[in-house]
Formats: sequence, C-alpha cells, structure tokens
Amino acid sequence: MQEFNLRIPGRDWDLLRKSCARSFRGRRDTENGAIGLLGKRMVGGRHRELLVAQIIWPEAGEVMAPPRRGLTFSSRYIRRAHLMVRKAGLAGLVTFHTHPLAKVEVDFSPYDDEQDPYLIENLQELWPGTLLSSVVLGETSQRGRLWTSPMEQLALTTLVSVGDRLQYLPLDGRPPEPAPDPSEIFDRAKALTGKGALAQLAKKTVAVVGASGTGSLVCELLARAGCKRILLIDHDVIKPINLNRILYATSEDAKHRRPKAEVLKRGIESLGLGCEVVSIVGTILDDAVLQRLNEADIVFGCVDKDYPRILLCKYAYQHFVPYIDIGAEIGGDNEGIVSTDARTNYVATGRWCLRCTGLVDPRRLALESMTGPERKRKIALGYSDDLLIKQPAVMDLNMRAASAGVMLLRHLFQPFLLEPLPVTLAENLVTYNMKAIASARARNEACNICRLNPYAGFGDCGEPVGLTSKVATALLEEDTGELS
Amino acid sequence: MVSTVQRFSVDIATAKSEIERLSASSVAVALVTEGSQPYALVRRVEAPSPPWDRTAYDILIAIPIAFDLGTPLDGFYLGLPYTFQEGEHNRVNGQVVKLANSEWKAVSWHYPDGKQFRLGVDNIESHIVHCRGFFLERGAVNARI
Repeated sequence: MQEFNLRIPGRDWDLLRKSCARSFRGRRDTENGAIGLLGKRMVGGRHRELLVAQIIWPEAGEVMAPPRRGLTFSSRYIRRAHLMVRKAGLAGLVTFHTHPLAKVEVDFSPYDDEQDPYLIENLQELWPGTLLSSVVLGETSQRGRLWTSPMEQLALTTLVSVGDRLQYLPLDGRPPEPAPDPSEIFDRAKALTGKGALAQLAKKTVAVVGASGTGSLVCELLARAGCKRILLIDHDVIKPINLNRILYATSEDAKHRRPKAEVLKRGIESLGLGCEVVSIVGTILDDAVLQRLNEADIVFGCVDKDYPRILLCKYAYQHFVPYIDIGAEIGGDNEGIVSTDARTNYVATGRWCLRCTGLVDPRRLALESMTGPERKRKIALGYSDDLLIKQPAVMDLNMRAASAGVMLLRHLFQPFLLEPLPVTLAENLVTYNMKAIASARARNEACNICRLNPYAGFGDCGEPVGLTSKVATALLEEDTGELS
Repeated sequence: MVSTVQRFSVDIATAKSEIERLSASSVAVALVTEGSQPYALVRRVEAPSPPWDRTAYDILIAIPIAFDLGTPLDGFYLGLPYTFQEGEHNRVNGQVVKLANSEWKAVSWHYPDGKQFRLGVDNIESHIVHCRGFFLERGAVNARI
C-alpha cells in the first residue's frame, strides 16, 4: 500500500502524548486533545505527506471534555487555528483527541464520523481547499485520516516523529507489529540493529545528493544495507580525474562524459540487490530539482560546497526530513598534516543546522552564491585565498565518512548509539580520535534556518527552498572548479 | 543587461526589503542586476573634494544570492571615471564591470581584522557606512600606505 504519512517534530509528539497521558490513567476517562496546523509535501500534484507545522495548545475553556462524554473543541479555538492557517497559507488543520477506553486498538467513534464532515464543510466554506486531518489516540495506538471534502477521506498510514530519533508509528489504529524478518541476503545485519532498521530501509526512499567519491560510497552502502530506492542527484559528468574515486566509473564513461548519476545507477542496479536507483541529472540549487526530494524519506548530502549544504538544511527544517551531511577534511600546517577528519552531521528539526555548527563558512557561502563573473572578480581581489582550499578526494577517508553516515542512519531507525547524538561526529585518524562534538560552536538562537525558521514544517506551503533555474545555472556557469 | 528585480529567490528577500526601506527614507539606493547577480546601486555617496575630484560618487555593492542565509558583504565598486589627488587610488585595483550604462571598478575595501561584518547585526545600510569610510580619512590614510 502507498504510504501516506503524517510528519511531526519529535518534541511535539512527546509533548502531545504527555499532555494526553492523563486520559489513560484509569481514574477518569476524560478525553483530551489539541489542534495542529498542517503543511504538506506534494509529489506529482498529489499529497504525499502531511506535516504538523505547529501545535496550537488550547487556552482555558477552548476544550470541553466532560467525563465519559465526547470532547469538543470550542469554535473560538478552531477559528483561532484556522485563521493562522489562512494567514500563513498553510494546508489545513489536524485535530488530535484521545479515546480513554482504547487500551490496545483505537478507532474513530460514530460521533467522530458524524462531526468531522461538518467541520471540514465549515472550514472549506471559510477557506476553500482547507484540509482536515484527524488523529485519534489510544493508549498504545493511533489512527489517522485526511478529509479533503465532506465526502472524501483518505487513510493515513504512518506517523513519522522526527528528532534525535526517527519513530515510525502506524496510523491504522493498531499497536506497532514486530518487524518482519529481512530477506536472507541481509539478515546478518540483524546483529547490529535488529530487524527493525532493515524493515524500515526496505521501505524507504533515500535521496543522495552528490554522486562523486563520497556519494558513490553511500549509495553502495545503502544498497547493501537493503535500501529499497535511492534518488540520486548530481549535475556533473564523469571526467578522467574522477576515475579513482567514483565507484563503477570507467574510462569509457569519462570519454563519453556520461552523467555521474547515470553511471552510478547502472553500477548499483547491476548488483542485483533489488535497490532501484532514480538518477536525476541537475543541480540541487535548482528548485525544480530540489523539489524531487519530496519523494524521499531521508536525505544524504555528499557535496563539497556550502550553498547546496545550506539549502539542504533549509529543506530539512521546512519539510521535517532528516538530513545526514557527510564529508572529509584534511587539515595541515607548515609541519604537515595535523588532522584527517571523516565527518558526519545529523540535521533535523529540533537540532542545529550546519551554519550554527560552524561547518558552513559565511564568507565561503557568500562567494559560492555569486555568479561566475562576480565570483572571479572577488577572487581576483585576493581576499578569498583562504576559501579556495580544495576538498580532499581520498577514497580511504571518504569511506570512513560514508560508513559513519550510513551507520547513523541505521541508528535512527533502531537506536544502538549512545544518546543524545552529538552535533558533529568526526574521526581524526592522525590522532586516533573519534570526536563527538556536543555543542554548536556558531549557535545562534535567532537562526532563521534551525531556530526561528518562518517556514518550519510548511513543506510546499512555504516559499521555494531552491533557486530559479536561471539563477542556479548562473551560479554554476563559469564555475572553474576553484571552489570544488 | 540591467533590470529591476522582480524575483530572484527568497534568499535575498531581506536585502530587497531593506533596499526598499532605505530608498523610502531618502537614501538613493536601488537593486539592480547583471545577469542574475544582484547589486545595491547607491547614488551620491559624499566625498570631500579635494582630494577627490567630485563631491559625490555612485557605488555598487554585490549582494550574495544567499544573503538571507547569513552571508557578509565585502568591498564595493566605484563608478568610473574618478581621480584621487589628481591620480589613482591604490585600493581601486580590481576588475571593471559594465552595468547601468556605466563602468565600475572593484575597490579592495575590506573590513579590518577584528571588526568584520557582523551577521545578524550589520546590514546593507551599515555596509554603505563602511564603504563611505573609503572616501574619508581612513581611505586617504590607506592611499598613502
């Protein structure tokens, strides 16, 4: 069955469950609930996922819940939330409420079935096109649906709670079932994460942005971990200098300047592991390409520039999609090499963005976000020399970063690493050190990407994350590789 | 080709609104483009004459397309022609760009160490003030170095 998910920040889900917990204490079977604002992710003009952009907690008197009787949201509460939806251009409302007697399974009551169509009808009278989702919570289960009109409802399949962990909870009214056994070819990986992570990977689409050295390794590891589908994005073609670092690339590919994404698709699919690779030849700076990420459940960033990284961060917060950024850095001084860092960063709602962690250099970002001619003029002035360091392309090192990134993904599906997860995980082989950097060194509590993002959870209801094709092309034009 | 900005991307929305605010408050500044590169064109930045050959110059400030995502501004372009002490200023040493029917030369006028462009604090207005320093005593001192 096609998944139709409801995404919610982990902290909001925890708060919601906590605030509703009193419904299940057994002494008073009082219903509880709250209203949320909905963003949406679209694929091919159809709803793929809904996002709980914000929970609007009720004020005094806005929720009427007499013991042993159905809960009612006051019209003031609904109007207040709906006004926020209209003002922000969001998709609609989601109502959450408990059924205190639902200890194991839960379902909508006849009262819910009667009231929801009235509510959607009223909301759509005020604002045509408003969506209404309703989620009913049992003690250990939840059931969700979406009303697109008083006559039409769709079942939601999974609630995805995104934060320090990823939780996939069924919205079919039943408690989570044990994960099925993986196919025999993958079952030795159970030793690491159990079958839960494998079951998730077998259902997920993972986007990999960048099909060079690190990206090709990530794709290989994902395919061998049992990933169902990889969305592979890269605008570049194979050149002779790439042959030592892109898996499956041949001198023939370089001769014919074949797109990296297509070469890698050919290689990964030839493994016969059942992993489908969708190759997208284009730059992630281009909003038309970036929107393809709506098909993905998780994003890997294997790029060596700061502008794509920061746009992927923006996307991660606007769409509540986990983003794993990986890279390798070699540091040196006059004495020689002092560090070889294989680095992994996990970016998600509630966590710090790459600007706050200090990984994105504002001066470098400025230089990268100028058109080719302007960038050349800036460089000619000589004040950007320190920014023109080439990223290392050493497979041994890239492999360490790719490995840590995919291990982190397994952890997100089924935890086995110590928590809380660090902001940055970096392995320095020169000093035999694995550094877990816990603090964001450039943290900004007013950051418009990860803290006060005006479009957090808006999904496609927010402003475009990427650039127009014309601007994206202008940034790539006359890109001499000096910054790559 | 020069055009008035309609829509680049959301990443310069702040720059656009600040330029609108400044122009409404009598600072002669407009957003212009060369290809897809945005610039703030600032008219009539005052300069003492002498040593400058005019009492006001137009300048161009390149706006990074990722400006709203936290990028600093740096340097500017000076409208040509100009003379400083009847000659050239050693900081006007960059490449020339043609825009708005004029020629502009890049000026190597950076923030001093320890006084960098402060993200979240500085903006186009404060950068114009920084650029104006080039025409005043600090620029004159730099011309002698």
